[in-house]
Amino acid sequence: MVSPASEVTAAPNKRARRPRRALRGGGWTWFLLPSLFLVGLFFVLPFVLNVPFAFSQWSTYSNSIPFVGFDNFVSLWNNGALGGAIRVTLVYAVVAMVVQNIVALSLALALRDTTRINTFFRSLFFLPVLMSPLAAGYIWRGIVDPAGPLNAVIGIVNSGFDYAWLGHPSSALFTVAFIDGWKWSGIATLVYIAGLNSIPKSLMEAASLDGASAWQRFWHVQFALLAPAFTFNIVTTLVGAMSAYDVIAAASGGGPGTATTTLNVAVQQQFSYGFFGTASTLSLTVTLLVVAVAVPLVWWLRKREVA
Amino acid sequence: MATAGSTRAAPHSTRRVVRRRWKGLLKYGVLILFALPWVVVPIWLIVVNSFKTEGEAALLSLALPTDWALVENYTAVIVRGNYLTGLRNSLLVAVPTVIVVLFLGSLASWAYARSKHRSTQVLFYITSLSILLPPAIIPTIYLLNSLGLDGTIVGYALMMMGTRMGLVVFMTTGFVRGLPIELEEAAAIDGASRIRTYFSVLLPMLRSILLVGAVLMVIVVWNDFFFGQLLLKTSANATLPLTLYAFASASVSGLSWNLVFAHLVMTSAPLVVIYLVAQRRILSGLTEGGLKG
Repeated sequence: MVSPASEVTAAPNKRARRPRRALRGGGWTWFLLPSLFLVGLFFVLPFVLNVPFAFSQWSTYSNSIPFVGFDNFVSLWNNGALGGAIRVTLVYAVVAMVVQNIVALSLALALRDTTRINTFFRSLFFLPVLMSPLAAGYIWRGIVDPAGPLNAVIGIVNSGFDYAWLGHPSSALFTVAFIDGWKWSGIATLVYIAGLNSIPKSLMEAASLDGASAWQRFWHVQFALLAPAFTFNIVTTLVGAMSAYDVIAAASGGGPGTATTTLNVAVQQQFSYGFFGTASTLSLTVTLLVVAVAVPLVWWLRKREVA
Repeated sequence: MATAGSTRAAPHSTRRVVRRRWKGLLKYGVLILFALPWVVVPIWLIVVNSFKTEGEAALLSLALPTDWALVENYTAVIVRGNYLTGLRNSLLVAVPTVIVVLFLGSLASWAYARSKHRSTQVLFYITSLSILLPPAIIPTIYLLNSLGLDGTIVGYALMMMGTRMGLVVFMTTGFVRGLPIELEEAAAIDGASRIRTYFSVLLPMLRSILLVGAVLMVIVVWNDFFFGQLLLKTSANATLPLTLYAFASASVSGLSWNLVFAHLVMTSAPLVVIYLVAQRRILSGLTEGGLKG
């Protein structure tokens, strides 16, 4: 953060006569500083501080913040909270990502052309994006309620069906992850539509003239050239779902038992008990998980992108 | 649909055109069948049940109410649901956050796009990292506490600005890199200062991308619950999602669906109304403008 300050002096008057150099050179300090101040203070600094906090025993019950090494990790691991929350978070993220991308890609293929009727459908399928994840959690908690519309529909063929989707550990996790996918698929659809429309039509026509079937055209042309949109959607949906909290707070509260207790649900719980150190430990785990998944994934997905 | 498809596919035999038309009808039939459970039923469920009495809404049926309790439910949301306070606080967070992030973010993006300094590129990457890496919430609370801002709307808004800046900076920088530099150079030759060039040359060109940024910011900031719950401690400072949660959790014996849904309708209403007014620009902005990874 020191160097941009030095750029001011690095733009002497001589260069003013050569505007290209002037724009590419210095003089940007005051354009950068305000945003860097906010990012540095409220993103970078907390991010760095999270490491010492994760190894401390800060709580509401004491004024000092003693350093305890790996104690937080060990105790969270030994009582099963850490391992369980990591597993739940990963399953949640993968299910949400898969639901979201399958729905989004199908919708994008159907609604690619900008016609009046397609615009109407795009607009309709975008509505869930506007709702808060909390609202989405309540809506679907109503739909999948034992007395709700989902069971009523299943009841037509299987009368008296009253399964509690959020009451059983395995279906509860899949249900909340599905809600997450439902809430965000409208955005992913638009990204895929943008990706599809950036593929030149002549390529598809050429493949068609060469005798490629519809499936071959999809797989070898569209799917291959859609790689940047794929990278973007898969990474953002997966990483976003790793911070899952809101949907669960409304739909299941982390239960039954700990079946839907993701890392962030556990963060909130530890925080409400007043254990800020262990809350930090869990929050640092989210970050580590994001890095461990996102970095290799971006690298791998980028490899198959056509430049 | 069918017509658009056939104009694209050059002159074919009429049989093919007929087949295309049938395929178009089939496609939209499937889309309608999918849209029903995906969007229409969920929206209908919340709206129709928000008009019912508590006992009737507990059945969670899609039928019209037999006893209308519209006025009672929505009055309860405003009076007991802390709605107006929530709306005011949500506006107090969202409006300044969006304006500050767009203004400061676009200022920085211009610098990131045009400066060739390695140090500025490093700063660009650090800022962009906030798109992927989740905010570290506990140290943020500690920090706001030391600044005397813990639990305040100002502290919450500052945290939102700092952690959401990256998305706007990343998108806008990519956009500026695609713009020709000649206009900016011409302004410099004419003797315009750099800040004047920003306002009169650059900013007008950034309208479309900043609209996309504004839409994404509003969606994220308006709907945030996790950070709000941890940073805003009192009900006087609660934003809309927090008032919804407090209202829903208030009854001990399960949810009063009529009231929860009424609050939910009113919580979602501001964004849905704005969206319905500006949907054409928002959608085309999102598809054509910025979201190209």
